[in-house]
Amino acid sequence: MSNTLLEVKRLKKHFAINNGLFKDKSYVKAVDNVSFSVMKGETFGIVGESGCGKSTTGRTILRLNELTSGEVLFDGQDISTLSYEDMRKARRKLQMVFQDPYASLNPKKTIRQILTEPLRVHGLFTKKEREEKAAEIIEIVGLHVSHLDRYPHEFSGGQRQRIGIARAVILQPDLIIADEPVSALDVSIQSQVINLLLRLQMDFNLTYIFISHDLGVVKHITDRVAVMYLGRIVELAKTEDLYDQPMHPYTQALLSAEPIRHPDQKRDRIILKGDVPSPVSPPSGCTFHTRCVSCMEICKTEIPLLEIMEDGRSVACHLYNKM
Amino acid sequence: MKEGIQLSTLKPLLEIRNLDVSFRTQDSSLRIVHGLNLTLAQGETIGIVGESGSGKSVTSLAIMGLLPKPTGFISNGEILLDGRKISDLKEKEMRELRGNDISMIFQEPMTSLNPVFTIGDQLSEPLKRHKKMSRKERRTRIIDMLRTLGISRPEKIIDEYPHQLSGGMRQRIMISLAMLGEPKLLIADEPTTALDVTIQAQILDLIRTINKQKNTSVMLITHDLGVVAEICDKVAVMYAGEIVEYTDVRTLFDKPLHPYTQGLIASMPNMNERKGELYSIAGNVPRPTDLPKGCHFSTRCMYAMDCCHEEAPPTTSNGCHSVRCWLHVDQPEGHSVEIEEEKNVQYAVRS
Repeated sequence: MSNTLLEVKRLKKHFAINNGLFKDKSYVKAVDNVSFSVMKGETFGIVGESGCGKSTTGRTILRLNELTSGEVLFDGQDISTLSYEDMRKARRKLQMVFQDPYASLNPKKTIRQILTEPLRVHGLFTKKEREEKAAEIIEIVGLHVSHLDRYPHEFSGGQRQRIGIARAVILQPDLIIADEPVSALDVSIQSQVINLLLRLQMDFNLTYIFISHDLGVVKHITDRVAVMYLGRIVELAKTEDLYDQPMHPYTQALLSAEPIRHPDQKRDRIILKGDVPSPVSPPSGCTFHTRCVSCMEICKTEIPLLEIMEDGRSVACHLYNKM
Repeated sequence: MKEGIQLSTLKPLLEIRNLDVSFRTQDSSLRIVHGLNLTLAQGETIGIVGESGSGKSVTSLAIMGLLPKPTGFISNGEILLDGRKISDLKEKEMRELRGNDISMIFQEPMTSLNPVFTIGDQLSEPLKRHKKMSRKERRTRIIDMLRTLGISRPEKIIDEYPHQLSGGMRQRIMISLAMLGEPKLLIADEPTTALDVTIQAQILDLIRTINKQKNTSVMLITHDLGVVAEICDKVAVMYAGEIVEYTDVRTLFDKPLHPYTQGLIASMPNMNERKGELYSIAGNVPRPTDLPKGCHFSTRCMYAMDCCHEEAPPTTSNGCHSVRCWLHVDQPEGHSVEIEEEKNVQYAVRS
């Protein structure tokens, strides 16, 4: 396909845990065999609970963590094997917006320095042009030129997140990976930032990978969603399809757990038993079988593969296995 | 003018009248909560909704007598529990109430348990303090409590340390700790904010069960309207230290009166068309140091009139729905007071 912007193939990220000098290391399989592709101009969502590997997936694509194995094709080029310096250059096209607007801006720098830094690092424009760009972008994200000489601590969470977004957009990247960009914000500020993201996408023709645990926000903003559980994608579908008719038992439980929107709304809730198992020693077979309501014998031994169904969605569950 | 409204005819367990909470700053004091009026009957669940800085957590600390001393203090008004004034109790008397009549669960289950004591040690504290029991009785009691709260293998858990448990489990332990004294009132400050949705569903289910089975009154402090819709009977919406709207949960969702509440409900993503622009309230919550003159919401309100910028609106009420907004004051003063006399409206609260 010509309009595929990013293709992730069998991505793995395992973190080693030292168990002591003479013992073998154990591994946390934070991301295990994850494959998906992102089309130009779309918003691709990754949802899941804490510890499912959604943030690690985002960071590994940008190689903020080195990947264990797999391929990441960006515009047809494999960026997983680039040297450090080449990767740095490639990041001009791939930017990230982080969750915590308090920790992701350098407190010692003015907003002007924060916004011109990416341009300077990539050797773009003259000093004067860079400052013009910064003045332009700060207006675009809804702040004022007079804010440029202030420091991050002078801003509220929502304003800081706008600055974080401005810093990513100023390079005019093709892809922005947004890792929980609105989770730390208050409800009334959340919707402002979501509107900003939607508007920037239109204006700059951006592609987003939107990582979040908030099902409502993901439903609103994304075109396709991947649901992750313990390092694997369990379901991947168009957003409408996924929310209308979730197929994987985990997706069904996750969607049913979302708080209702009105007190009279019917609650048809699947309450999952227990907690997410430890990723150091995930259950055998399907990692969800310990909490699954429709667990079968095969689930305990065999890992279900992500299979593509007739309507284009993919599910990793033995219930839908064609055999 | 009497502002308190009563949504139910049941005997009130908790009454808050005209509460002001202030914090001392270097040279003056700063009023964080202003003119709060609330009543909560036995067995009712009330939600306090607001964004950060709205004063919802400070309100709960004031009820618990846990305001940071000497910085924070109640500068006006009173809090009554079961008809007894508790807002001016001495620390020693307050300690008798805490964990016994009122209990609280906090947002962070990770930090509210002591990492160097076993679960059993920590759970025996309220029993040692408030009940005369032998060590063995205590242990049985704790194990029973853990079991009723759906903790598997309680005999093992009781001897484990907090770090051995997951977030959801720790929050269950916190709830058991709060419930051991069989309190009449349980205050839950953002009990599910740090948890995943599937675990949140479990915990909310648990709070609902406790409320039904033990007839415990619950005050739930949250920023999430969805959580309110799940388990609350009535709701108070707070903005910049004041209750701006106070009614039962259905009325709030069906007919919100205050522009701030309307904005909050309208900006829930599920209320908007997918991919469309979300409804959003412009601007930020003002800091307590620079609150606007007049109505605190006036700077962000799309309906703001001249009077909104000049004078703070009074609370008007029809007996079961009160709102602090100039839009709902027909004739300043007078009229609204009249309505307030017709307080006998029977109000069927979800049973």
